[in-house]
Order: sequence, then C-alpha cells, then structure tokens
Amino acid sequence: MTALELITLLSQAIYVVIFLLVGYRYLRARTPAHLDMTIFFGILAFVVVESRIATYLGLVQPEWFTDTVVAAVVLLPYILLRLVDDFTTVPVVIKRGSELALVASVIGLYVFQGPTLPPAYVLAIVAYIAGLSFYCGLRFYRAAARAEGVTKRRMQAISLGTILFALDIVAAGAGGQMSDPWKTLLAAIGQVLGLASALGFFLGFAPPSFLRRAWQAPELRRFLARAASLPRLPSTLDIVRELERGAAAATGSQARIGVWDEDLGKIRMWNDPAAEPIHIEPGRHFSGRAFEQQKTLFSSQPARDDPEAAAAYRGARVGAIIATPITAGEKRLGVLVLYAERPPIFALSDGELAQLLADQAAVVLESRALIDHAARLRAREEATRLKEDFLSAAAHDLKTPLTTVVAQAQFLERKATRDPSAPSDLQGLQRIVREAQRLSALVTDLLDAARLEQGRLVSDREPTDLGMLVTQVASRQRAGAHSVEVDVKGAVVGNYDGRRIEQLMENLIENANKYSPNATPVTVGVWQENGEARITVQDRGIGIPASDLPRIFDRFARASNVDDRKFHGMGLGLYICRGIVEEHGGRIWAESEIGKGSTFHVALPLSEERRLN
Amino acid sequence: MIETWAGFGGGADARGVRPAGSAGKAGERAGSRVLVVDDDPSILDTVTSILTSEGFQVMAAAGGQEALALLHSWHPTLVLLDMRMPIMDGWAVARAMQESGSKVPIIVMTAAESAKRWADEIGAAGHLAKPFGLDELLECVEEHSGPRRRN
Repeated sequence: MTALELITLLSQAIYVVIFLLVGYRYLRARTPAHLDMTIFFGILAFVVVESRIATYLGLVQPEWFTDTVVAAVVLLPYILLRLVDDFTTVPVVIKRGSELALVASVIGLYVFQGPTLPPAYVLAIVAYIAGLSFYCGLRFYRAAARAEGVTKRRMQAISLGTILFALDIVAAGAGGQMSDPWKTLLAAIGQVLGLASALGFFLGFAPPSFLRRAWQAPELRRFLARAASLPRLPSTLDIVRELERGAAAATGSQARIGVWDEDLGKIRMWNDPAAEPIHIEPGRHFSGRAFEQQKTLFSSQPARDDPEAAAAYRGARVGAIIATPITAGEKRLGVLVLYAERPPIFALSDGELAQLLADQAAVVLESRALIDHAARLRAREEATRLKEDFLSAAAHDLKTPLTTVVAQAQFLERKATRDPSAPSDLQGLQRIVREAQRLSALVTDLLDAARLEQGRLVSDREPTDLGMLVTQVASRQRAGAHSVEVDVKGAVVGNYDGRRIEQLMENLIENANKYSPNATPVTVGVWQENGEARITVQDRGIGIPASDLPRIFDRFARASNVDDRKFHGMGLGLYICRGIVEEHGGRIWAESEIGKGSTFHVALPLSEERRLN
Repeated sequence: MIETWAGFGGGADARGVRPAGSAGKAGERAGSRVLVVDDDPSILDTVTSILTSEGFQVMAAAGGQEALALLHSWHPTLVLLDMRMPIMDGWAVARAMQESGSKVPIIVMTAAESAKRWADEIGAAGHLAKPFGLDELLECVEEHSGPRRRN
C-alpha cells in the first residue's frame, strides 16, 4: 500500500466514523441540523463503502447507478448549505440559486451519456460544488467569529473542513482535465486535502469528549473565577444578573436564570432588570418543566413545543432553547435557560455545558441563601433585642417616677390619718405633682413613639403660619426659664398639623433650655428659603459630640456627654421630632460644637401657592 | 452634693410632723443610721423624708462616690442602694464596700426586672423593687437595720 492509498483509506474511514457518530446523535436528538449532518456523512460513507466493495468484488456498476452516486456527491454542498441555514440564515437568492444549479447538474448527469462527460459540463459542476462549498466555509467561519467556547472551536473546524473540501473538489476537477505528471500530483494533493478536510469535519461534527472539555475549559474557568465573588453581591438580583452574563458568555447565547421561591411555589425570573420579576409555575414553559422534571430539556422548535408562549418566542426570535435545573444536592434552587435565535448544531454538548454552569450557579445561589439566612437570623435577634431593650427601658423609666408617687402619696395619707389637723406637706405634694406630670409626659412620648412606628403621628393638616405659631410657643415658656429670642422673617405658611409642629417646637426649645445649664438665651429663627420653610433653634449650651450627631434622632439616643442624673427623659424627644418633620415631608438635622452650643435645623415644605410666589 | 437629714434639720417637708410609732420603737429606730443612695432626686427626697419622719437617722447620697464618702465618715448601719446610676453604679459601690471590709448590709433598690438576681449578685441583705409602697419600704428597713444595731 502506498502512502497515498493509506491517506485515502484513513480519510474514508473517518467519513464512516463520523457518519456513525452523527447518525447516533440524530437518533438521540432529532434536530434538523443532526439530520443534515447524518445525510451529508451518510452520502460520503455510502460512496466510500460502495466503491470499496465494488473494487473488492470486481463489480462493474450500471451507468445509472454510477450517475446516481455522482448525483449524490453533487448534492453534498447543498446539504452543507442547509447546515449553514440551520445555524444562521442563508439569503433566499442563494438557496434558490443553489437548488436550480443542483437540479441542472443532476439532469445533466443523466442527459450526457457515454464514457466521458463534456469538459465544459464537468467544469460547471466542479465550479458549482467548489463555489457553494467555499461559500458555506466562509459562512461557518463568520458564525465561528460570533460564537463562544466550544461552539466557536467546532465552527472553526467545520469551516476549515468545508474550505478544504472545496479545494479537494477543485483539485479533483482540475486533475481530471490534465495529463501526467500534473494529474498524479493533483490526485496526491487531493488525497491530502481530503484527509485534512475529513479531520476538520471530524473535530467539528464529532469531537472526542476530551477535546470538548479542553475547549470549554477557558470559558468555564472565567465563569468560575467570577462566580467565587458573586455570593457577596448586594442582592440576589445582582447575582442572577452576573450568573446570566457568565452563562451567556460561556455558551454564546442568551441566558436567563429563574430562582425558586419556596413561599410562592413559583419560579421568579427577571426578563427586564428594571421591571418586576415574572413568576412561572413548575411544569409550565421550558423553565417550569425542566425544574419539575429535574432534567435538561432541549427544543429546536420552542413555538411548537410550548404553544402557550409561542408568540413570545416568535417576538423575541427565539429558535432554540436549553433549560436545565439548578439543584444543590436535594435542594431545588432554580433553573438556567439558554435561548438562541437558531438551533445550535451541537445541542447535546451545549446541554452538557449548561448543566456544568447550572451546577456552578447552584453553588453560588446556595452560598447566597446561607449568607441571607444568617443575616435574617441576626436581624431577627437584633429586632428582639431592641424590643426587649425598649420594653425594659420604658418600664424602668415609668417605674422611677411611679415610686415617688406611690410612696409619697401613701406617706401623706398615713400622716393625715394620724393627725388630720397637721399642716399639709407642701413639698411632698409638689413631688407627687411633679412626678405625676413626668409620668404623664413619658406615657405621651411612648404613645407618640408607637404612632410614629406606624407612620401616623401627623394628622389634620391645615394652612398654618409657622412664624405666629413659633412666637406663641416661645411666649408660653415659663417665667424663670431661659429667655427665648424669636426672629421671624415674614409669613411662612404651609399645610401643617399645628398641634404636632407646636410639640416639635416645644421639644426643641425645651431641649435647648435643658442642655444650656448657664441660662444662656435660646434663639429661634423662622424664614423661607429655596421654596422651603426653615426653622432654627440655637442654644449656647454644652453641645453635642460630633460622633453622636448622626444618631441623636434615633430612638433612645442620647449624647454621650449628657449626665442622666441631671437630664431626665427617655431619649424619645428628638426621635419624635424627626417623626413629626419627616411625616410632613421635611428634614431635620443638627450642627454643634462642644462647649459652644447646638443649632437644630428644620426644613418643611411650603404650601403650593407660597412656593409659586 | 450631699444632703443630710439628721433629725428634722434638712427636711423641711417633714417639719412639724412627729415621729410615728411608740416611744420605744422610735428609740430603737433612732439608733439606726440609714444611707439612701439614688440618682433620682425625687426618690431620694421621698425616701429620706419618709424614713426621717419615721424616726430613723438618714443621710442621702445622689451618687456612688458620695455614698462611699458617707460610709466612711458617717458609719451607717444600712445602705439602700440604687443600682443603675451614672459614673459609679450600684455594683461599683458594693465592690468598693467589700474591698474596704465593710459589713454594712445593703438593700438593693431598682426599677429593673432583675432586682432579686442583682441583690444575690452583690450579696445584698434584701431588695426593694420599684415602685415600692410605704409599708414595703418601712418593713424592709425595719427588718434589716434592727439586728445590725444590736451587734
């Protein structure tokens, strides 16, 4: 056996092997692409095996049989064109043109009888086969440029195989028209090209699994490298987006991830990142079915297989779908769906890749679920702790004045019982009155805080002049208290709950007095600025440490330089102030310098007509 | 700030009111020296005026440091101690008393739920959970200032 004969035998064997592999694949997944591949390699394998058998047995074929075999070979580039059409789109002109040329060539085969065909006809057939094959090779090459991962590599191999196949045809056609030594040389070149083409087809159409894995590796690794940091992203939606992006890059298709919502009993999927998620029941559409059946589903005709969503598939130009469940052990987490405009030629290997990606997505989502679970536990513990703190602080603060009221009142009662004529104990009575008022204020604050939690502190709004209101509040300050200077610049009218704004001003002025031990004056300003009503309450008291400023409006907050012994209260005052302001749609903030005093700022919306003026 | 109610001196509110109870009981009580420690001025005033009026010798301290100073200068026979106080709280006062070898019994006064547990923690003789009534206060002080005085 010569080297050339060996090469011929090898390439022929490869065609037979590919035929068996793609035929088997067609039996497993009956896609148009698998059918076309099977026909293509079926013809090649038939031609090869038939000629071997004929040579071996020394048979002489009848002419119609030989013509039919040649016609089948002439059919090959058209099958390639169909394969191109399976994966991308071939212009109608080219389809119809190639069909016409094919019919003309085949008719010619049967029309021209005799031992040799006219050279012009042979040239035409060679040009047709080679030209169409070149075209297909280029289209595969362009498809490869757009694809990713395994698909890209396989497309490249097929593109190479197709172009070499075209060159092989050219070499064979040219050789037939020449004499030695050119004929022998071209025949040899043709054999080498044939083997190379067969190898290209083999790698493209039926690559061994180790090669597929090697081709997948870079995309998978990139995906995994990114996946490691995903569970820490701020929200599940962010994670889903990133996973979808990774899966899309790794497969060269559109990717969507649906997350199983245990409480809802549905799969949540975000088709539009800005919009609300859609909910899919298990068993409905491909995602629901893959989730329910816990297996990878593939469809090259989604509109037919899922008629309910046919319009959506057509609208989004979805021509193929792979849906695979995302599952961690026994725990069903969701589903990964890959969409493509055209059915991919390699549905099965894309399915394998989709499963790998889904497994990784499962790890990411499960880690996220664990992080969320831990955070929820922490939040619940924190909420319980805050509630207990609140209750015990409230109970403590209520019991303290109550102690005085109870013990002092019983003591007065005992004294009056023993000696009804004794003069009344004025200081004892005053203590009871003072502590009862303190109790009453505490209860009011507690109720206000409870209303505030429900966001219904403010009611009955009506046009109110802040300047007049503030002046009234300031004038009510008891004699002997610090002097309060009020500076009102014009009428400042808005729609306010006058009672609550009074409470706000009383709290702020009282606070200013309370924390100004040296009886320094308190200044209150009211004006309007930039379409807002503005109020300031400025004292020259002890001030608030900068580190405490951000939290003085929180519940039970108290500046760290406040001596609890001198300043009573539950720390609810400023919390309620903030509630009043914010329920009016305003803002409250404070500026302060230790030892120099504090300024509390309030900004409230003005009424509509005021703002226009 | 140390306010004293030795006899009726400082407690204007108790002025003119005779110590209650029998002369014998009043005599016993007069030998008891009760130190009241609380950061709440109303409670401090109320408890001191009641105990003074009932015939006990009473001194008031508004904080832990004042309490310790009186402990050493005035030698009380019973301490009524509030637990939650700023700067120096009840635990710190009890620890300082222990370290100085003081055997003066302590009654824990607190508005917290855990009055009994805190009393056990610092080895106190008893506890008064706020809000307490007049009888509770007197019974408790009576019970714990008595034996001590006889020693």
